Amino acid sequence: MSLLIIKRSRSRSFLLWQTHRTKTRTILSSYNSPSDTDCSDSVSSTSGLSSVFTRSFKTTSFGSQSGKISYLNQKFGNLAYSKSSFVSTARPLSSEAVTVAATCDALTVERIIANQWPILDENESDWKSHAAAIAQSIQVIKRRLQWKKLMVKLKVLSAELNKPDLWDDPNHAGKISREHGSLTGKMKGVMTFERELLEHIDMLKLAKEENDSELESETLKALIDMRRVSKEKELEALLSAENDPCSCYIEVQAGAGGTESNDWAEMVMEMYKTWAQRRKFSVTVVDEMPGEIAGIKRATIKVNGEYAYGYAKAEVGVHRLVRISPFDSGKRRHTSFAAVAVIPILGDGSTRVQINDSDLRIERFRSGGAGGQHANTTDSAVRIIHIPTGITATCQNERSQHMNKASAMAVLQSRLDQLEMARQTAMNAQHTQSLTEISWGNQIRTYVLHPYRMVKDLRTNYEVSDPDSVLEGDLDGFILSFLSSSLDKSDEEH
Amino acid sequence: MIRIFPSSRFTSLLSAAKPLRSFACSSSPTREPPQCASFAEKKSSPASNSLSFTPKTPLFLRPPLHATPLSEVWKWHDWAKDLASSVEDSSTNSEDSLDSVVLLRELKWLIEDSIVDDDPVIHRREIGDDCEKSVKLRASLEELYDLWRQRIEKRRPFQYVVGCEHWRDLVVCVEEGVLIPRPETELIVEMVEELVTRDEWYKKGIWADLGTGSGAIAIGVAKVLGSRGKVIATDLSPVAIAVAGNNVQRYGLQGMVEVREGSWFEPLKDVEGKLVGLVSNPPYIPSGDIPGLQAEVGRHEPKLALDGGIDGTDSLLHLCHGASRMLKRGGFFVFETNGEKQSKMIVDYMTNDLKDTFSDLRIVSDFAGIDRFVSGFRL
Repeated sequence: MSLLIIKRSRSRSFLLWQTHRTKTRTILSSYNSPSDTDCSDSVSSTSGLSSVFTRSFKTTSFGSQSGKISYLNQKFGNLAYSKSSFVSTARPLSSEAVTVAATCDALTVERIIANQWPILDENESDWKSHAAAIAQSIQVIKRRLQWKKLMVKLKVLSAELNKPDLWDDPNHAGKISREHGSLTGKMKGVMTFERELLEHIDMLKLAKEENDSELESETLKALIDMRRVSKEKELEALLSAENDPCSCYIEVQAGAGGTESNDWAEMVMEMYKTWAQRRKFSVTVVDEMPGEIAGIKRATIKVNGEYAYGYAKAEVGVHRLVRISPFDSGKRRHTSFAAVAVIPILGDGSTRVQINDSDLRIERFRSGGAGGQHANTTDSAVRIIHIPTGITATCQNERSQHMNKASAMAVLQSRLDQLEMARQTAMNAQHTQSLTEISWGNQIRTYVLHPYRMVKDLRTNYEVSDPDSVLEGDLDGFILSFLSSSLDKSDEEH
Repeated sequence: MIRIFPSSRFTSLLSAAKPLRSFACSSSPTREPPQCASFAEKKSSPASNSLSFTPKTPLFLRPPLHATPLSEVWKWHDWAKDLASSVEDSSTNSEDSLDSVVLLRELKWLIEDSIVDDDPVIHRREIGDDCEKSVKLRASLEELYDLWRQRIEKRRPFQYVVGCEHWRDLVVCVEEGVLIPRPETELIVEMVEELVTRDEWYKKGIWADLGTGSGAIAIGVAKVLGSRGKVIATDLSPVAIAVAGNNVQRYGLQGMVEVREGSWFEPLKDVEGKLVGLVSNPPYIPSGDIPGLQAEVGRHEPKLALDGGIDGTDSLLHLCHGASRMLKRGGFFVFETNGEKQSKMIVDYMTNDLKDTFSDLRIVSDFAGIDRFVSGFRL
């Protein structure tokens, strides 16, 4: 946007800048002053505009004909830098003192919402409606990011970062600074978005005052774009937990009840396979134990792709099916259960549990017979047992024992990582639902095929009357409604 | 010294002169393994006509020349699935029967090897119903019917059907006439890997893989030795020599793995006392057990690679003697055996009959818990 201002009239942006020059100076000086935490007011009144200037000037330098401009640009580069570092580190973090971005006439996101401007269709060229929609999105995003908690967390992390002995433990320090970086990034993202909104409003008012219809329509267009982007950002904010971007394993286990249950477990697994394919995740079967007549007793798939864990974690729990069983000659109605577990595959950056070779016992899954040259089997399944925890992992779907072992090791590693995470979570007394404990009582969803047809999520009451589409992998409605409701709930609690 | 394996035509010339050597082996040391005899026997059968021997191209390396309607492929797939699922009912011998779970997995791999598509369409049947679409196959549908029938009715090993075996992180070409490398044998390479990571000395010397067959162990060892590695792989069978040479070439290891034709240590006279490592999976099944072997093994795999004489240790004992002669001081060896009884016997033999020759003799078990390997060091 700033670029187009410059293109249109360089003199005006100079003018703008000069008008507020004193104010921006104030920011600089107040930032430098030792009592910088008290200056939030002066910042709040100007931060919106000052960033417009900064950006205006940055763009001017693209055509930099005059030394003065590039000098100013440099100066503003510094300003931009100090301002952002001010935002990220020196910001007072108690909730009352949080800086609030505002327009020239002190309009803030909260006030926009309080104004209750009617939100009209996107096609209506009413800036107030756009602004209200965007402001509402910002509010949703903040709630989903658990804004207040985020601020507290950042404060704790900043304090940690400032400890002089931090780097005595480089691993810990790395973790802290990574986490700080990622949270700061999230926070800045929202703040920038908020500021942009208010800048656009300022610009729009200015355009109206000066009867510049071209600027007005361009600003309006920018607002519409923001409105669209804000919807995406709302979704992104649903997946903001630490391990959400990871790939994952999905495991399905049939409940008691033999063939009917095994068939249901296979249906559930197929549902996830097609869901993952629709989302363009890649799916590989790691481990599969077929039922005697049909279906599976249990199976593990690996789902590779960004945010696979973030989405799939919403599926953890017991899934219940009610139907007339095709395996029952008496055509009676049956109820079956399948349990779903989801395990994140932590990235290289995360601290992973160290596994000692001496703690492992590796077995051929189907042993028996003389083996060696006597036997020619393509079945090279491997089971790895982690002796201290008793956790096991098997893989039989690769074509060599070596690869089966490598796959099983990867599963074992993730299971141990998850166990460790659960342990730490318990230590931190955060009541996040533990993914390792799926008790058969933990029912999350019911799929009824008879006497009526419906799929209902017991956590959110979200329901769909077409079970076929759900079983064919159309799960996003369930997943998103669960993710948003769980975040909203946890925000209320604080 | 490195001899890049010549074209198979050249091999066939060499092998044409072979029968002489089979007679010559009677003059070899007392414990000369019986393989010469069985090799001569093999040569007389038409199946191993080595005169025009060229390694076969495995399914997955063939060009995808056969455009086939998807609906036809599904028809074949359903037929193959039914055939696989029905095996258990029809089998009479419960000791040696096919397992339909394993067969279904093999069917999946057969499709993987014959369809050109990262994500075979055949698995997405329910989603799209574009039967009009055609896929490119690496074999005609007719051949696929035939191959699957061979697998189930003739009990032809799956690895011969597709022409390859996935072994460790390798895909090794195999065909009738060479032993299909077993999962257990992967551990030999793992033991070598552990040794050379611990002690760099073993990376610099010459290794030998005796009775290399498809060349799997030699290639696996060469890869863990790293760029300075040097492995000589020997085999008596010209088919094995051609297949191993081809596999070495496919992995671009011609500079590191040299394939030499001949019985056990015969082609290694120039490196006597110079080896830092010696590995082998020799024939070790007692002759009396051969008739009762699993159909895939007994009917299809080369006896030369399986039959270890009356108690199965003929070749192993020959290797023990050779190891004392061929290895440098500190040199390492590991041999695969038939199990607990043979392993104990080999260790006893080495401690008593070959006194003060080896140290650190160890019996190592495979993942099924069977004492499968004997390893040790030359004093």
